[in-house]
Amino acid sequence: MIRNLLFTAAFLGLAATAPALAQEDAAATAIAAAKQFSGSSITVVAEAGLQALLDTQYSGPEWEQLTGIKVKVVELPNEEIYPKTILEKQAGTGGYDVLLISPALLADMVNNGAAEPLDDFVKKYGADKEFDDVNPAFKDWMSYNGKTYGLVVDGDVLVTYYRKDLFEDPENQKAFKEKYSYDLAAPKTYKEFGDIACFLTEKYQPKIYGAGVINTGYTHFFFSERFRAHGGKFFDQETMKATVNSEAGVKALTEMVEQNKCMSPGIETWGFAENLSALNAGEIAMTISWPPLGRWTQGVNIEDKALSWVPKTVVADKIGYAINPGGHPQLASGFLSGVSPDSKNKEAAYLYAQWMHSKSQSLKNVMRPVGLRDPFRISHYESPEYQNLWGGAKDYLKVLKDGAAAGYADLSVIDTFKYQDSMSRAVNAAIGGEDPQTALNGMAAEWDQITESVGADKQRDAYKVWAAKPTAYRE
Amino acid sequence: MTAASPTYIKTGRPFWAGRRGTGIAFVAPAIFVMLLVGLFPFLWSVAVSFQDLAGAKQSGNWIGLANYKKLIADARVWAALGRTLLLLAVALPLELILGLLLAMHFQIERPLKRLFVALIVLPAVISPMVAGSIWRLMLDHKFGPFNQIIGWITGEPIVLLWVIKPHLAFWAILIAEVWQWTPFMFIILLAALANVDREQLEAAEIDGAGRFRVFFRIVLPAIMPVLGIAVLIRALDLFRIFDAVWQLTRGGPGNKTETISIFMYIRGFQSFETSYTAALVVILLIVLSLAVTLALKRMEIAR
Repeated sequence: MIRNLLFTAAFLGLAATAPALAQEDAAATAIAAAKQFSGSSITVVAEAGLQALLDTQYSGPEWEQLTGIKVKVVELPNEEIYPKTILEKQAGTGGYDVLLISPALLADMVNNGAAEPLDDFVKKYGADKEFDDVNPAFKDWMSYNGKTYGLVVDGDVLVTYYRKDLFEDPENQKAFKEKYSYDLAAPKTYKEFGDIACFLTEKYQPKIYGAGVINTGYTHFFFSERFRAHGGKFFDQETMKATVNSEAGVKALTEMVEQNKCMSPGIETWGFAENLSALNAGEIAMTISWPPLGRWTQGVNIEDKALSWVPKTVVADKIGYAINPGGHPQLASGFLSGVSPDSKNKEAAYLYAQWMHSKSQSLKNVMRPVGLRDPFRISHYESPEYQNLWGGAKDYLKVLKDGAAAGYADLSVIDTFKYQDSMSRAVNAAIGGEDPQTALNGMAAEWDQITESVGADKQRDAYKVWAAKPTAYRE
Repeated sequence: MTAASPTYIKTGRPFWAGRRGTGIAFVAPAIFVMLLVGLFPFLWSVAVSFQDLAGAKQSGNWIGLANYKKLIADARVWAALGRTLLLLAVALPLELILGLLLAMHFQIERPLKRLFVALIVLPAVISPMVAGSIWRLMLDHKFGPFNQIIGWITGEPIVLLWVIKPHLAFWAILIAEVWQWTPFMFIILLAALANVDREQLEAAEIDGAGRFRVFFRIVLPAIMPVLGIAVLIRALDLFRIFDAVWQLTRGGPGNKTETISIFMYIRGFQSFETSYTAALVVILLIVLSLAVTLALKRMEIAR
């Protein structure tokens, strides 16, 4: 009798815990495994500013509480992340454990021996069980030459934000249709973007300008998207000569420069912060930027002290979201979490990366007030918690999901950083007043030099791999 | 006196002075440290410049003069060098003249002289990176006082994009540089002027010499050694200018304000073309060393 009772109890116990074991997610696995490293510490690279606050204020302390592993954060400005990581590799100090990798630079990181292959860890700790949940557009980022070197922690895609109240105003709609012979709506092409900007500026300036854009920093992302939207190709695959100064390039750059004329005075100096501030303050009717703006313009989850510089939104419930003109927004940057080959605590470092990448933890991260982490999993887009953050959240998440699915990947070849730098300088020169064709010719000459120094054949091989991806040219 | 003392008394020199080997032994550590600190990095750079080190590669292949050939053919290097020299040619005389005028102004006792001298010197004690940031804010098109003042003068709001437009960006850098380093010239020349022989000045005045004559015949020759060194230091600083440019324009728009130091930083620490950058370092070091040696010789300082 007692034996039967014990047997029944054991059976019931197993039956009760089995689903829990089956459902154990990558986060729980990472936490359980990391406890063996309790008392140690890991150094995590984070982008200086808001991104870093995620690790310093939230994830770091939480990880320490859960596992006993202390998280030290090294903050690096965005443009310094890659150079500093390579410098650390050169010095071989093992100063960083958990790396922050821009997917476009993954090939360079691997070629420089600066990123550790993670396949064994992925298999051992079951991170791959949740890979199907990663948006296919971002899943591709994690591997290079068939090996996994990073886990996505931030899914970036550029989004068009526009003032619904101004766009849906019957008077504006009528006047716009009369002038341009098509409906005033979220722009489907970059020409329409310019038309709308000029139309609304003419009517509302100096109180409101038709559009705002980011002209300093990251300009290569914006040019890359427009360039490809006009049918541009970066290289001639046969000769590997740069073709960025083609008709498509000139058209894209001229358009960027010309459209600035319909925007706020001094638009040429605007960076991410100026653009966000103007949108929140109701000073611009439309812009193209990164995802956190959806939450910030709504005033959701921005009560953190670190966000005190963001002007209080006056446009809550007035912002509409759309896929960028051309239909293929740039998957601009994004981040992978990787492990340094020189780390003295690789396994603990990996487990932190897995935890940050995991379904449950990453959902928390993409809803945090700070961190600038954006949805990258199907479960993020479908999360009822996220969808209920504000009235338009569902539409916002749909634009992020569809935009990413149709997006252009950043160019990723050998020495990508040099090509990006050259492109940004050419775009900035044109914005500063240089003739677009001249600026692009200079850029093409620099690109040819870079290609020559890499070796045209070697670069061709790398370019072919990248260009074959559906996200490269969307043909 | 003891039996050991006669040697010392006999020569009147320290006991080791007559022993060549001992003398060298005393000097050797200092020479070793100097060679280690000064010469070793240079020799290392020379060695690296003949290789193809780049990225995180730990060892390179010998490629002879390839980096030097590439350097000579690189138009961006020459353009950066030209911009650096232009900045030097404009900023240096400005700093010198303004510094000298200020120093002469404060030669006589004036109310609150000490306070004003301290205030004038203030920019020179600020970190150049911070000074660059201050000027970035000062020249901001929207919030910066510079454009507002120009607007008040012209009577209408004016938007000058100081760090975006190429023709303004050069002036922005020049203004920041002259603002920060004129005080350096001022303080050195103030000290030099204070040491000019008063008797000579009084004698010239009694003899009826005019102000310009006194300045060019008495004051300038008297302060010339100090002035020469101040000019040399500032010329070297201007040749290496980095901070103000980096904070204001990062070498942009395009490459329009890229100086040789910015170019070296980008190539060496962002593009990781280690050997190529080393070749540039070697050439610049040789050219600058020759220039400094010649200047010192001409000023009769390094005799």
